[in-house]
Amino acid sequence: MTADNPYIPYFATIEDSWFETGGDRCIKTFKVVFDDPAVRDSWNHKPGQCAMIGVLGEGESMISISCSPTEGKFLRFSVMKMGKVTQALHKLEAGDKMTVRGPYGNSFPVDDWQGKKILTIGGGIGQAPLRPIVEFVKSNREKYAGLTMIYGARSAGDLCFKGEFDQMSKRDDLSCHLTIDIEEEGWDHNVGFVPQMLLDLNPSPENTIAVTCGPPIMIRFVLENLKKLGFSDEQVYTTLENRMKCGIGKCGRCNAGCMYVCKDGPVFSYSVLKDIPEAFA
Amino acid sequence: MKKIVTADKLPVLWSHLAGQGKLLLPVKEGPTVLFKEWTAGDEVALDAPTSAISPKDIFFPREETYMRYRCRGPVLELSAGEEFEPVTAFGVHPCDLKAFEMLDRVYLDQDPVDELYRDRRARTTVVALACFAPDPFCFCSVFGIDPVSAPGADVIAHLDRQSGNLMLEAQTVKGEALLKGDASLLTEANGQSYGPALVKTADFGLKLSGLSENLKGRFEDPAWDKLYKSCLGCGVCTYVCPTCYCFDVEDYGHEMAGERFRCWDSCMYGQFTLMAGGHNPRPSRKERIRQRFLHKLQYYPETYGEIACVGCGRCLRSCPVNLDIVQAIIALGGEQNVQR
Repeated sequence: MTADNPYIPYFATIEDSWFETGGDRCIKTFKVVFDDPAVRDSWNHKPGQCAMIGVLGEGESMISISCSPTEGKFLRFSVMKMGKVTQALHKLEAGDKMTVRGPYGNSFPVDDWQGKKILTIGGGIGQAPLRPIVEFVKSNREKYAGLTMIYGARSAGDLCFKGEFDQMSKRDDLSCHLTIDIEEEGWDHNVGFVPQMLLDLNPSPENTIAVTCGPPIMIRFVLENLKKLGFSDEQVYTTLENRMKCGIGKCGRCNAGCMYVCKDGPVFSYSVLKDIPEAFA
Repeated sequence: MKKIVTADKLPVLWSHLAGQGKLLLPVKEGPTVLFKEWTAGDEVALDAPTSAISPKDIFFPREETYMRYRCRGPVLELSAGEEFEPVTAFGVHPCDLKAFEMLDRVYLDQDPVDELYRDRRARTTVVALACFAPDPFCFCSVFGIDPVSAPGADVIAHLDRQSGNLMLEAQTVKGEALLKGDASLLTEANGQSYGPALVKTADFGLKLSGLSENLKGRFEDPAWDKLYKSCLGCGVCTYVCPTCYCFDVEDYGHEMAGERFRCWDSCMYGQFTLMAGGHNPRPSRKERIRQRFLHKLQYYPETYGEIACVGCGRCLRSCPVNLDIVQAIIALGGEQNVQR
């Protein structure tokens, strides 16, 4: 067994798992811990990075790591039940093992953002890669000038990480804005689409970094509205996703132009992204 | 170090090399020539223009199991795929040799190194064969490849057409080790030289200077709307191409035992980029054709400084609708007498 073979995964055991949302395309979160203590200690990911997680006999999928390294020596993955591998993953429960290799890709440059106000704008499962930023900034709050989170989904039931927002809205050092598309009983937050809520909140672009992730249609209108609010392309970040197999820029399928999303992404500043022809294909 | 093997001793040379590990040679298989493992009695085709399929599978096999797993009670065991044995790849043409260099950049020079490729590369001694009879589809000269020199090969071989004798010249330490063989088989070459010193291929009137630069910003060029229409999406171009390196990773087995392997894949197939949710960023043959040719002509050059084609001519020989890279370059304005 070649120890250096980058395709050989580690084993991780599921410590806990729970459903974030219901329905056909439900989202399940796994909290996993590497079996090998040496891997547990040496593993070091940054907000925005991904990992190839898999089920032996079924295959691997690239999933964003939805926790910040500041949370502890574990990993979290929030997986939507979608294809062959994610369906197999959904069958796993606490005590089961999955394969993990990575971390892959670049990351949100959270260190370069110190001293700035951070604005995250998420939709649906798109909150998964944004959550590590929120958690990272929360843990290093004194290093950042502000933290604002906008998060929306179709319905209250489609919001991920619901349990975390009550506690967040009690904090006075961050502001958490939730929205759903259609009015429903018992919902006491905003009703409306994420891009409109962004306009209504009217955040100042001054000394601010905006990061958005969600369905392509949402991203398109968020980008437009950020421009209207006066954000420059350099202040705006998003992530791309494509089908991936190797995770290390070799297998040739996730490229947009000469960039490989697995390696050169998934995080891109809009100033770079707007010139990549296939980025929004 | 220069040695000569006379024509009558070639079968002895093959046996000798096959005794040291796996020997790969261009071998006649019916009407085609394939680069494959030599076994006694095979008809070796050193004088053939080129093998039908590129020899890239020496380092990058069509299928490669790299991990096996098995559950024994509560214990899950992992084991590696196959052990790699030493290989002598004999008779690699300069075009294919140049393609190895292009794959090396992706698999070896970019971090992290692809260990599977590296191990196979390290265990292989490459004997290049100077090309003296390019066929009408060969156009490596367009890419500045000299058909009779082989930079990077461990040994370069020249075949003398009249006598059928082979002159072998070591170019690396590994090459010298190969030639330190049996003195009755390999005799010293005393200042002799074989073959024409100058071999030129067709150029099809192509002009490549500035093409890669020019293609930037031509993602929505109308040329793509015409070019793809004849494509059948069969993927043979990627299969025979020495510089295509895309692969798939899949599992075979079940929860108790099985394997994880990689195999060649092709950007010509719709499933290549199809995501689980049903979205496909390259939904039609137009986007796939554009990806393949832009990768060769713009993306690869942008990263590595040269066009990812070596003029081996395989796509010209193989494409059932003549949608080869020469046609693509011409359609994109890469001709000598066309103003871009």
